[in-house]
Amino acid sequence: MIRVAAVGDVHLGEDMRGRLRPALEKVGEHADILLLAGDLTRHGTVSEAQVVADEFADLPVPVVAVLGNHDHHDDKPLEVTKTLEDKGIHVLEGTTFTYRVNGCSIGVAGVKGFGGGFAGKCGSAFGEREMKAFIQHTCDIAESLEGALSELDTDIKVALTHYAPVPDTLRGEPPEIYPFLGSYLLGEAIDATGTDLAVHGHAHFGTEQGMTPGGVRVRNVAQPIIRHAYTVYVLEGNHS
Amino acid sequence: MSSEQYLAANLRRAVAEDPRTAELGVRITVRGDHVMLSGDVACADRRAALEEVLHEAAPELTIFNDVRVTPAGEPDGEEDLR
Repeated sequence: MIRVAAVGDVHLGEDMRGRLRPALEKVGEHADILLLAGDLTRHGTVSEAQVVADEFADLPVPVVAVLGNHDHHDDKPLEVTKTLEDKGIHVLEGTTFTYRVNGCSIGVAGVKGFGGGFAGKCGSAFGEREMKAFIQHTCDIAESLEGALSELDTDIKVALTHYAPVPDTLRGEPPEIYPFLGSYLLGEAIDATGTDLAVHGHAHFGTEQGMTPGGVRVRNVAQPIIRHAYTVYVLEGNHS
Repeated sequence: MSSEQYLAANLRRAVAEDPRTAELGVRITVRGDHVMLSGDVACADRRAALEEVLHEAAPELTIFNDVRVTPAGEPDGEEDLR
């Protein structure tokens, strides 16, 4: 059994320093690992990333993160990543993190993800250069997610993204903006790889619970949805 | 599209793109000479910044700021997915 804590869209800045810390210092009482589903900053600046790094540093459980669109806004994702990693936060982008606890192993594969829309209502890599680039970005990321998930050989496999892999967890958002909130390509990668749980953020007006077409549970952990410093899911290993 | 809808669209862009707010998760509804804000932000200062940016963009509108501050406490339970 592994307890997975998760939160996304904390949007920290200097004005938020210390606000999550009291709950985070007790995360070990609730969970064995903490996942951060992107949009950790407001503007993606290195100074905001430093606030995030300080807030999530030296916790009693491993902290595993992906970046979100806000974390790219200042065009410094590599610097933001390094700032977080310098404080021991594991930042994933097409990569994995594995951990063993309570005799059970958990593997997390993470990507930022991107938009494009969902089956039957999605964009195609066709036409203008900008449109092709938009969809190709999603295709590349989904391929990277599938590759990372495939590499995992752990009792529990979790997909961590910022953008949504299914429309279920977007209920409450205007349907017209679904193509900016996620892509079915992420869900397809999750379904192809024996994944146990998919965790994402990004959709502040969405809902927490959903499922992929292949039957994998999906949870939207955007902080305005979960309304706590983090939420916790209890999982049991299926793969060994 | 009515001018009210254009105004709402412009105000949504203002709170998303102004660095003082950078909020994409706030709903903005214009009805006559009132604008209602709803959704969640991370702290009280950011809730106040929304009003500042909107007032600059449309000083003629009366603002109903119904935005809430997201709670940041410990969880009060867990979801068992076994």
